[in-house]
This record gives sequence, structure tokens and C-alpha cells, in this order.
Amino acid sequence: MSPPPSLTNQIFVGTSGYSYGEWIDAGFYPDGTHSSNMLDAYMQIFHATELNYTWYQMPKAQAIHRLCAKVPEHFRFAAKLTRTMTHEIQKGEWPKQVMLFRQGIEPLTRSGKLLCILIQLPPYFERSVKFRHYLAALLDELEGLPVAVEFRHASWATDKVFSELEQRNVTLVSVDEPDLPGLFPRLDVVTNPDLFYVRFHGRNARGWRSGNMQTQFDYDYTDQELAEWATIIKTAIMPETSAGCIFFNNHVRGQAPKNALRLIDLLR
Amino acid sequence: MNRSIIHLNIADFAAAVETNAQPALKGYPVVIAPLGTPRAVVYDMSEEAYKEGIRKGMTLTRAKRINKKIKIVPPVFNRYERVMKDLLKQSVAFTPFIESGTSDGHIFLDVTGSGRLFGPGVDVAVKLKKAFKKTFNFDPIWSVATNKLVAKVATRVVKPVGEYIVAPGDEKAFLAPLSLHLIPDLVKADLTKFYEFNLFFISQARLLTLEQLKIPFNCRAPLVYDWIRGIDSTPVTMYCQNSSILAADHEFSTDTNTADQLRKALYLMVEQICSTLRNRTLAGAAIKIILSYSDGLQNISTLALKPPTSNDYILFKKCVPLLNKTWVRRVRIRHMRLICKTLVLQGIQAELFTGRTKETKQADLILAMDKIRKKFGKNSICPALTIDSPLDCKARYQ
Repeated sequence: MSPPPSLTNQIFVGTSGYSYGEWIDAGFYPDGTHSSNMLDAYMQIFHATELNYTWYQMPKAQAIHRLCAKVPEHFRFAAKLTRTMTHEIQKGEWPKQVMLFRQGIEPLTRSGKLLCILIQLPPYFERSVKFRHYLAALLDELEGLPVAVEFRHASWATDKVFSELEQRNVTLVSVDEPDLPGLFPRLDVVTNPDLFYVRFHGRNARGWRSGNMQTQFDYDYTDQELAEWATIIKTAIMPETSAGCIFFNNHVRGQAPKNALRLIDLLR
Repeated sequence: MNRSIIHLNIADFAAAVETNAQPALKGYPVVIAPLGTPRAVVYDMSEEAYKEGIRKGMTLTRAKRINKKIKIVPPVFNRYERVMKDLLKQSVAFTPFIESGTSDGHIFLDVTGSGRLFGPGVDVAVKLKKAFKKTFNFDPIWSVATNKLVAKVATRVVKPVGEYIVAPGDEKAFLAPLSLHLIPDLVKADLTKFYEFNLFFISQARLLTLEQLKIPFNCRAPLVYDWIRGIDSTPVTMYCQNSSILAADHEFSTDTNTADQLRKALYLMVEQICSTLRNRTLAGAAIKIILSYSDGLQNISTLALKPPTSNDYILFKKCVPLLNKTWVRRVRIRHMRLICKTLVLQGIQAELFTGRTKETKQADLILAMDKIRKKFGKNSICPALTIDSPLDCKARYQ
């Protein structure tokens, strides 16, 4: 597959992670592609990706350095903040984790390949005093780095939160996920003029709370759904920002790269 | 396609099991070692004890010299095996390809083929870690790599806590700066050879060609050549709950050295094993008895059965002398295990012209007892050997 021409210099479209064996069967990667060669194949098509593994494991500078060396100059990464700072927070321990994370992603910042750090908060992270204080402290610790926050709890969808993020120049992640009670709604609010961030999780309402990724993110966006988003991005989001990134997380059966390519077509 | 291998390692497994069983031990330097034996050595120790310099295989006397306040707990091997089995049962939900030691806290899972069901290997690893924490209060180290060797090195690197994901294609670069002793398959003699050449790191050893490696390692050279490059094609074997052994355990409520109690426990185990054998139309061709003493030591004896049998009386008759052979110490016994190995198919063709021998009468009796148990419950009938003596009964009902 020949690489599509870059959409614009400022918008990066890609997928959340790139190493999925099932994408070979889906036809996205050529037959017989080894996991070690998937990034090579991926970067022929997309110019950015979300690093998922940094959520599971604290990034290590040497490994990130090797990753940076593999990709071309124009390629960018968004790095997910490690779970020890979002889902498994240990009181008193997390500032040390932030320091380790900063050290781990240092090759990304040094080489200018970091799009931003993605703070993906869990569904139970509601807008309580305790969590508000924690988030404020976390953002303080990450100061100086480009940061995007993804809420999964609807209680954060208030103007007060948006204006605070705006003050801090922190990107609010626009999420596309099922219409389920309690989930953060689909919004086109821009809080950072330097960067917008859209994540497509799929709208599989039945599988969303299954606890199984393969069910939760099993969704194929229709042309109409993608066209609606293309309009929103073009008319409401892009005029407000100078750059942005759009990532598809519906990785099951290669739907993410397929939908991402379609959205690029629609945005062009 | 690359494989996705998860390695879960519950560091200091025996110490972790004992600490879970006795929460008061938490935070103390715990040493697992037999009690009351002058030449006892450390079987396992907690992280706190490790930090103080206590190591596996060290004499207990020396460990006590390092820290007089160490908590010494005798090993209970069957407990570790039981916990290990429970861990495997939880893991098997994600893949049938599971490999582990009997009681060492190490589990390998090959989740290459189950990605479509459960998602990427890292996600399965995190799920298992959470499940182990919730169900067993263990906090395993985990790693994901493309083979067992790299996965095991990765958990060794982050021990005692943490995780490591070695990206496909990153194996060589990951191993390069590490010390040679982290490669699990290199034994002490191999390491000594490397050290003699002033080679201490994997990157240094890689400079040697295969021909050069053949000088110190002879026929092992190709293996060593692959290991230091992170190449390991050995598969994760399939987990089989119905493996070719049957085992029965008996833990004495109070430690004992009474022959009657041992014989009674032995008969109950024989009955349990033979019943399973008959249900599966199998016969056992070898038996093994493991006696665990209260001080943590074990004695083991095995015996081949010719012909293979599933008859309670015949097996018990063979087991009694084996028990006597195994029981060589005066220390009280805490636990007894009977293992029936080498299971073979039972002959289903009956003899045409046999008379009523003692064996055939016993076989008929066993079959009759099986039928009664099936109809009225497991405890509806039992041999006199397994019930308490009249004196005991009298004492109980008074």
C-alpha cells in the first residue's frame, strides 16, 4: 500500500498501538510480517502512533531511544502515562513515578518526536475533591511537557474544568465512545490552541463493560459517522488550534487503521 | 509471526506463601528452612532476609549469625504445590500453553494464539497479575517477550517488583548490557568459563564466533551462541490437568509417628487413587511415597508395580513395605503424599477360565463397594482399617 500524502503538516492521524497480529489477517500488514517489522510497515502509511505499552510499563530511555532511531524525522509519538499514575496510584509514591516517566520519555522530547503525553483516567476517576487535587498535582508535576487529559467519567464535563485546562494549556481529549450513562460525552471543546486530540474507541455499547479489550473495542465506524466527525474537526476544532492528532483505538480485526485511512480521505 | 510469551514470577515463592498463611510474618526477614537439624540449609527467604545477605543454600547457622532475629519457618512443600496448582488453574483460562515448576512460583504462558479472544499479551499479563493479587495476595513480577529465555531474563532484571515488556526485535539490544549470569540456562560451569576469559557481559560474549565458543563449550556452543543473542525456540508445553500421574495427599492434624495412623492415611490415599484409576479404566505401573517431617525434611521412595494395578488391596499391600522403607526418621510426620505414576490402560478382557481366587474375590468386593458409594455416597461404606479403634470410639462417645 502506498503512503497517503500527509494530510497537513499539523494533523497526525494514526492508531493506538501498531503491533497487532490480527492486522495481518485483516490485510493491513502484508502476509508474514513479523512483529518486529510492524512499525516499519506502519510508518509507511501513518505518521504518528500512540504508545500503548507505556501504560503497562514505565518507559525506559534506552528502549525509547531505539524506537526513535527506527522512525523517520517526521514521525511522532503520543505516550500514554503509566498506570501507576492513573489507575494504580500509590499515595506518596507517584511523584517518583512521574520523575521516572520523564526520564523514560526523555529521548522523545529531546528528538522532538513527542506529540504529547496522554493521561487516560479510569472510569471511576470522578470529579471529587480527592481526585481534583490529585489531577492538579499531577499536572503540576508534568509541567513543561505537552499533556492531554482523557476523562472517562461524565462528572468532568463542566466549564470549570475546561477553563482550568485552558489556563494550564492542557488538551482535553475529545472521545468517541458509546452513549452510555456515566461516560464522558462526545465534545468538541478546545482547551489548548497548540494541540487538539481526538480518540476513537468505537461505539460498542454492549461490549464496553465486558472487561475484555477484544469486545470493548470491536467496532467499525460507518462512513456517515466518520463524515460527521470530519465536519466537526474541520469546522469546529481545526480553526481553534494550530495542530492536532487523531487516534483510533478500535484495533480489533484491523478496524482502526481502516477507519483512520477513511477519515484521512474525508478530511482531505 | 512472533510469539507472545508471558513470564510470571512470584519472587521468593515459599516465603510469600508462608507470609500469606501467617500475616504476622510480614515485614520480618523470613527464612524457610528445616528446623532442629544442625546442617539445615536455607530453602527460601523473603526479600527482607535477602537484603540482609541471606541466600538460598546457605547454612541456617550462618543465616542466624547474620541476623539473630530472623523468623525461621519449616518448609511445607505440599502447600507450595497446592498454591501453584491454584495459580495454574487461574492462568489456564487464558491459554492452554502453560508451563511451570511444581512449586517455584514461575509460570510461562504462550498467548500468541489467544490474542483475538483476550487481547494483547501485555493486557493478559496485567489481568493475571491483578487476579493473583486479588485471589492469592501475591504480587508477581511479569514480563512479555517473544521467547521464554528473554522473558525470564526480563523478570530477573526487575526483581523483586515490577514488569518488563521486551518489544519484538528488541531482544538483542535488551540483553546486550546485561550481566551473563542473568541468562537462566547458563550454569555455574558455563559462567566460570566465560569469567576465565574476562567476559562478564552479554555484549562481550557476543564478540566470540561460534567456532571460538566451541573451544570452551564443545557441543553446547551452538546453544550458548543462541542464548546470548536472545534466541530460544523451545515451546511452552501444554498444560494438562489430567496428566499421567495421580496424587493423593494427607496432612495430619497433629504431627504423628504412630504406625496405625500412617497406615490408615495410606489406605485412604490408596483408595482415592484406585477409585480414580478404575473410573478412567487405567492402572498404575509405579508408585511414589513422599513423607514430609515436621522439621521440613522429606523422604521419598518409589516402586515399580508389576503388573500395573487399580486394586485397592494389591496396591496397599505394595505400599506398606514402601512406607516402611521411606519412614527412616524418628521425627514426627506432618504430611504424606502418594503418587501413582506411569498410568497404563487397564485390560478390559476378563479371563475366561479363572477360578475364584482371593484376588478375584477382592476385586468383586471392591466393585461392590464402588457401586454402594456411587449410590449412597462416598462415606457410606469403608474398610475397618480406616475407622477409629473401638477404644478411640468409646473415648469419643463418653
